Amino acid sequence: MKSGLQVRDLWASYRRGPDVVRGVDLDAPRGSITALLGPNGSGKSTLLKALVGLVDSRGEVALDGEDLRTVTPEQRAQRVAYVPQRSLLSAPLLVHSVVAQGRFPHRRGLGGLGQEDQQIVDAALADADISHLACRPFTELSGGEQQRVLLARALATGADVLLMDEPTSAQDVRHALELHAILGRLRERGAAILVCLHDLSEVCAIADRAVLLECGSVHADGPANEIVHDRHITPVYGVELIEGGGLGFKLAKEEADG
Amino acid sequence: MLVLALGSAVALSFFVGEGDLSNEALRGTLLRLRAWRLANTVLAGAALAGAGVLVQGLFRNPLASPSILGTSAGATLGGVLVLVLWNALLAARLDWIPAELILPVGCLLGAWLSLTILLAVTGRGASIVTVLLTGFILSSLFLSLGSLLMSLAQNTWEMGRAVVAFTLGGVDAKGPRHAALALPLVAVTSIVAMGWSRHLDLLLSGEEEAQSLGVDVDAARRWVIVWASTLTAAAVAIGGNVAFVGLVVPHALRPFTGPEHRVLIPAALVGGAAFLTAADVLTRVLPSAGTIPLGVVTGLVGAPLFLLLLARASREGRIA
Repeated sequence: MKSGLQVRDLWASYRRGPDVVRGVDLDAPRGSITALLGPNGSGKSTLLKALVGLVDSRGEVALDGEDLRTVTPEQRAQRVAYVPQRSLLSAPLLVHSVVAQGRFPHRRGLGGLGQEDQQIVDAALADADISHLACRPFTELSGGEQQRVLLARALATGADVLLMDEPTSAQDVRHALELHAILGRLRERGAAILVCLHDLSEVCAIADRAVLLECGSVHADGPANEIVHDRHITPVYGVELIEGGGLGFKLAKEEADG
Repeated sequence: MLVLALGSAVALSFFVGEGDLSNEALRGTLLRLRAWRLANTVLAGAALAGAGVLVQGLFRNPLASPSILGTSAGATLGGVLVLVLWNALLAARLDWIPAELILPVGCLLGAWLSLTILLAVTGRGASIVTVLLTGFILSSLFLSLGSLLMSLAQNTWEMGRAVVAFTLGGVDAKGPRHAALALPLVAVTSIVAMGWSRHLDLLLSGEEEAQSLGVDVDAARRWVIVWASTLTAAAVAIGGNVAFVGLVVPHALRPFTGPEHRVLIPAALVGGAAFLTAADVLTRVLPSAGTIPLGVVTGLVGAPLFLLLLARASREGRIA
């Protein structure tokens, strides 16, 4: 039995529309960060949503060998946490309350947070480096800070599989680097992290493995530094790596000439 | 503060109105009548404000309320339909059941159907405008159908009187039977609805986030519709289609309570009761030749507030 998240032959679509994810196989092992790459519209976000049951899908999704498609929403939320790119929350809930929502799948009844829940929420706030924001309204935070709150809420669920949709898209360089450090710590604790990344220069910096999607199918899958290579990147993105230029990119030759 | 407001409104409602309390012979009767009227007003106000909070949460739409979404109109139509059918078909054989008892059933079905249609037509993630427009159209449709039924009901005097009295609404002349019927409906539904507070809080972030955190979104929607319908039906069965209570009260309260439903729902119940009782007192003290309908007062307060909120939402770009 493999540990972590295993996906086999997954197909997904929005409301019985055309398939956006087409026969994807991938693994997100524990104790590693797996990057999900691909151009806009290649199905990265849809794939993440399919894994937590937010879009119609068929295929196999298993965690540590156990089928995740037959469990209740609450049971799934206890094991797999999803961090959207941004939240639709427009009500001025306090950050602490938003993070406490992560305890939803564990709690019953009307009462306030129990002592254990409270400790978990505090730890999640600390892990995401936002303890100082706990009493601020969510709607008053910057996009980057809101993203941290969503991460803390996901951590508060206690799930050790983390699906993140472009977590650094709203962050400046320093905050992005801090987020990398947070994800690194979670990896050391044995979490399985699957993260959609837009910026290829980030991939080698944080990911152990990478899965490159093209038009909803897996184009390449392997160690991150092997996937972020002209051999794979050029046919999918139409760009080339600049030699000796670290992780910068330029337009591919035929596009630049044309 | 809310309880204080309710207390003052209640006190006023006993001492204000036509009739002379210094007349010893009349005092007892007058106070008893006012007490029942007050009980019904409190229940209708609480129910409408509670329903307002629920539909605002359900549609993630601060401009929603039972009257604006057509839920009250649906309840009214259901009530009229049941009255007409009852008088035409069954009353002769089942006349031991008072009409007050079956009225809420019709209102409930009407309100439930109205919300269900609205949700089916607008689908998930519909914009504020789509929801409001659909509610407006549904409201018009139900009111037209209600008028049609009323014109049919004019055939017999007895039926016509019952239907007209119901659709005109108002809490005057509503007695212990109405209150006795509405009290358990409002009390039980409110308590159960409070049990869904955490679901409603999570739905504030949209259905995807709520579902990813373990909320069974379809079940939550189904049940919240039932609770909102029941509260609206109870209010309509007592007081007819009184507009804007469900809009005004939650809005007035949110700055003090915050958006969490665990606090907002009970506050809205008390606030709604206070607001409608105060409005009812106003209908008795405002200068007029006859009685001012309750809906007129709530409309005078509610409609400008709705415009204000709409303008603000539009300015902040939340309308599209």
